Amino acid sequence: MITNFNFRVVWEYMPLFMQGLRNTFLISLVSLILALAVGIIACGCRLSRWKLLRGLAIAYIESIRSTPLLVQIYFFYFGLPTLGLRVPELETGIIALMLNSGAYIAEIVRAGITSVSSGQIEAGISSGLSYFQRMRFIILPQALGVTVPPLLGQAIVLVKDSALLSLISVMELTRCGQELTSERFMPAEGFLTVAVLYLCIYYCLKPLAGWAQKKLIFREAY
Amino acid sequence: MIEFKNVNKWFGKLHVLRDINLEVPAGEVLVICGPSGSGKSTLIRCINRLEKFQKGELYVDGQPLHDHSINLTKLRADIGFVFQQFHLYPHMTALQNVTLAPINVRKMNRDEAEELGRRMLARVGLSDKADAYPAQLSGGQQQRVAIARGLAMSPKIMLFDEPTSALDPEMIGEVLDVMIQLAEEGMTMCVVTHEMGFARQVAHRVIFMDEGQLVETGKPDAFFDNPETERAAQFISKILTH
Ligand SMILES: Nc1ncnc2c1ncn2[C@@H]1O[C@H](COP(=O)(O)OP(=O)(O)O)[C@@H](O)[C@H]1O
Ligand SMILES: [Mg+2]
Repeated sequence: MITNFNFRVVWEYMPLFMQGLRNTFLISLVSLILALAVGIIACGCRLSRWKLLRGLAIAYIESIRSTPLLVQIYFFYFGLPTLGLRVPELETGIIALMLNSGAYIAEIVRAGITSVSSGQIEAGISSGLSYFQRMRFIILPQALGVTVPPLLGQAIVLVKDSALLSLISVMELTRCGQELTSERFMPAEGFLTVAVLYLCIYYCLKPLAGWAQKKLIFREAY
Repeated sequence: MIEFKNVNKWFGKLHVLRDINLEVPAGEVLVICGPSGSGKSTLIRCINRLEKFQKGELYVDGQPLHDHSINLTKLRADIGFVFQQFHLYPHMTALQNVTLAPINVRKMNRDEAEELGRRMLARVGLSDKADAYPAQLSGGQQQRVAIARGLAMSPKIMLFDEPTSALDPEMIGEVLDVMIQLAEEGMTMCVVTHEMGFARQVAHRVIFMDEGQLVETGKPDAFFDNPETERAAQFISKILTH
């Protein structure tokens, strides 16, 4: 098999793969940052006192989590134009990834916040700390330790999910593999290379997760 | 200092406080006892508005708590609350637990607050534990840090909700000693507890609650030795035998 593997063609397409790698990285990064914002806002609504906001947040989170990402991508890709909104493929893809990851991040953040016992919050209230002071000094420092590792997990998922954007012809990494396959008919070369490059991204992100875990989980017990 | 006038509270349909009338003058040490579920926690949680009530009037330090426009932050800053489960902040050292509110609510500068915090920890006998995290402290030590945290705000009133109920028996004494010392210094205190020894030694008055009602009030010795109501008598015989 290895003798049949055409390294020359992989080398020849390397500039294309590098461009795909770069695009996948950028798409994931931008989507992640936007998803963080969406997730934090959605989580804020989910925990809000107002029923309406809570209801909207639940509807958003549950409809995203119960439907396939691919369907969501097609929904925006084919749906937005019928509403008269012409959005280029790349932006459509980023919107879909942002809304998808945002729902998962909302739940991750919520788990972090609700992991802080209500007794501690009452202790804060009793000593006269304001809502924002309680958030800043009591809830967030503890929530962060619980939240960051699953957030990095979600970042890794997001990188892999971005492969689906190839189906709406966004030139990311997987799309480059398809390109090589259709131009030269070499699917093994195309997709193995792509897989190795995804693996590289994964191994860049993974130590980050370990580091964050060590750094942020506060020293509760030793 | 504290005055309840016909205070009523419901949790949904459950009537947890029924026509409470109670006056606690400054400097009084009041012990509240009664069976589980009788509304003792709810009663003292009303005093710093951790709980709202639906009917009646409650004045604390001259402020009407039934009036929803009062400044709750100021009120709460002046009242210390000690919980059964301590509720220390586990990511902060003992000293940081104690200085958090002085720095952020009283706007003290850090050096001043730390000086104050160390003084408060010394007052509860924990000068050497300033840099320990709650997980490194025993239950009794954690509860004493929680008391120091309350005292650091120079409160006008200290509320205690079963402060020794979550402790191993051998640690109850060290916490009660701190509370006795506080009572002797003239602090206004409302203490939910079944510790009869504490009540007899420092309480000015004991009130007995049952099913949301204030059933009986008396001097500690009179209350424990000769309760007036049948319900109180039953309750006392139960805590004696347990
Ligand atoms: N947040 C709440 N929601 C509904 N019911 C409550 C709540 N807190 C307490 N209760 C009920 O109110 C009653 C009085 O509770 P509590 O004041 O905690 O009693 P105690 O402290 O004397 O044991 C109990 O029946 C309890 O189940
Ligand atoms: Mg209670």
